[in-house]
Amino acid sequence: MTHVPPHRWADALAGRLDDAEQRAIERHAANCPSCARARDRVQRASDSFVAIKNQPPPELPWDSVRARIHWSVSTERNERIKLDADPKPRRWFAHAAFGVAAAAAFAYAFVADPLPRSELALAPHVDQPATPTRVVTPPVPVAPTPLAGLVNRATGDVMIDGIRTTDLFARRLVAGTVIATGDGRIDVQFGDASAFALAPRSMLELRRFDAEGIELVVEGTVDIEVAPRASHQTFIVRAGERVVEVRGTQFRVQHDKTTTTVACRHGLVAVRDRQGHVEVGAARRVDLAADHAVAPERMRPLSVDEVNDLAQATPMTLPMWSLELLQSSAPLEIATVGRRDVRVDGVELGLAPMRVRVLPGRHTVEAADHAGRFRRAGWVDVAVPAAGSKPARLEVPAEPPPTRNINARRKQLQTGIDKARLAHCVRSIAKSGLTGTYVQIEIAVDPQGAVGFLNVIDTDLPSTTANCVREVLADVRFGAGDAATWRERIDL
Amino acid sequence: MLQRVKRETGPTTALASVDEADLIERCRAHERAAHDEFYHRFRRQVAGNLYRVIGDRVDLDDLVQEVFVIAFRGLERFRGDARLSTWLYRICVNVALGRIRTRKRRPPPIGGIDLDATANADPSLTERPETPQQSLERRRDQETVYRALEHLAPKKRIVLYLHEIEGLDLKEIAYLVDSNPVTVRTRLFYARREFYKILAGDDAVPPTEGDE
Repeated sequence: MTHVPPHRWADALAGRLDDAEQRAIERHAANCPSCARARDRVQRASDSFVAIKNQPPPELPWDSVRARIHWSVSTERNERIKLDADPKPRRWFAHAAFGVAAAAAFAYAFVADPLPRSELALAPHVDQPATPTRVVTPPVPVAPTPLAGLVNRATGDVMIDGIRTTDLFARRLVAGTVIATGDGRIDVQFGDASAFALAPRSMLELRRFDAEGIELVVEGTVDIEVAPRASHQTFIVRAGERVVEVRGTQFRVQHDKTTTTVACRHGLVAVRDRQGHVEVGAARRVDLAADHAVAPERMRPLSVDEVNDLAQATPMTLPMWSLELLQSSAPLEIATVGRRDVRVDGVELGLAPMRVRVLPGRHTVEAADHAGRFRRAGWVDVAVPAAGSKPARLEVPAEPPPTRNINARRKQLQTGIDKARLAHCVRSIAKSGLTGTYVQIEIAVDPQGAVGFLNVIDTDLPSTTANCVREVLADVRFGAGDAATWRERIDL
Repeated sequence: MLQRVKRETGPTTALASVDEADLIERCRAHERAAHDEFYHRFRRQVAGNLYRVIGDRVDLDDLVQEVFVIAFRGLERFRGDARLSTWLYRICVNVALGRIRTRKRRPPPIGGIDLDATANADPSLTERPETPQQSLERRRDQETVYRALEHLAPKKRIVLYLHEIEGLDLKEIAYLVDSNPVTVRTRLFYARREFYKILAGDDAVPPTEGDE
């Protein structure tokens, strides 16, 4: 007897074999160690199916998930955005402010009087200065840890400290750095889930950039995403006379000579100047003319388009970010003819040409066609960065001319298929009782009738049979006509 | 139309069906309280379905959110052909399929498959409390199953999971994956061969006729 295919053991365990076959494979296993081992492994796996099926779900932040769901779908919520007050964020802010105030008071008391209360009680009385038992040295101020940012994505013209640098992705952006964009855009990450993106024709200075505080000075437009920060960590953005303070949020600051606009996608930011301050909650914006004081009446809700716009401008962040990425990641340059939306490894990155930070390895790049559908542009191997090495580059082929008159080409395909050969391809599986199968292809034909490409994009056939079908389809001859690219499902 | 579903995870009584219809109507009217009730009623079921299909909890909350967002948006088109829980299960399957496809293009998470929570499996599964050794073995076995599933194409993986682990029949699976039973049968045929071959270990059995 030949060896027992492993899936037959599963059938045997499920009682799907008749007694004779069951006995036969057991007899075989008794004399065949490899089949006995396979049986045991299948048995163990099958036993664990029940445990998997009864697996309870892990606990999740249910309330947070619920809030996000409501945010996405509730028309009620959207209506409420139009109203003036949104008590939840305000309550949150009030709690946060109370917490900050309490922490500040506690810290003040502690710094002003650094001895612990228990030690104070044991300290000698001040009337006896001649016999001090302990000399308390004042705490030495420790400089906060400096931060550094890494460029994650760059498009177009970008300058660092006034220079169009070629080693943009190999630089640490530290305090004092000035970033300026011409027609380009740059995304800089400086922590896990913390990043900013400077829009075209903007300038940003990292005036302070350390673990205790971040201060950015902006002229133009910057989109910022900040992970929640501890109460002692400050994050402010200066836009002219106005100061925007944040804790954890995503927002945009747009500042020019005449207007300052602050739009908040989620979280809460406070905008203040010498005359007053205003809190900008989720999905709201405040527009402040240069000669107007900061006041709540200048706030309005964001439209759906504006929220989407903010979402699309979210700075690019890499998970598990650290400065070690400088050594363990490399830039990938994606070149396109004209500006085209691209995806890398399935993640949409916006308009190329661009340079983007990726981990070493093979990456798939897709580019959107004129209809907005992403099509594979190729793959590229990115090596571990080395001194003097050129960045990996992928040139996205130019978009083919738009497709016309598909029906004529479709008809040519259907009539040109050699049905006898097709039947021969699937004969063996049909004999096994598997019918009703299909192959879905994508095919491009040029005006001369030559097949540009023919890909099997979906099938329920084994690969050998699918290849056989593909060969039959590839032999179809097309006449001259319009160029066409289309998808076709061939039922077998 | 789905006639019968073995896996009944939602409310099962006639009263519950009336409640369900009422709940759907109120959700369609964009009643916030109804949305909350819907969410509370099905959240664990949805999370459980997704967790078991995918085998790890990475981004599970995002996937749960996605399922409910799709459900709330699609309730207008829900005709009641199947139970609400079955319909939700179908959404879960599609969302999980999308997730598996996306993950295939990315490097696997550090630490491999997360089955930490398997240590908290239903105690009724075991007649007496597990020893640490037994618990470890059970977790290893489950990890082996998910590792083998990772090798399958997403569509095959889903079909195999629903049939072998959830115990659904071809019609039920066809409804859940929005396909026809013949296609499901074909997928299952090849998926089972691949899956058990991987489970048995490549060196265990020489290739048999018809294997790919």
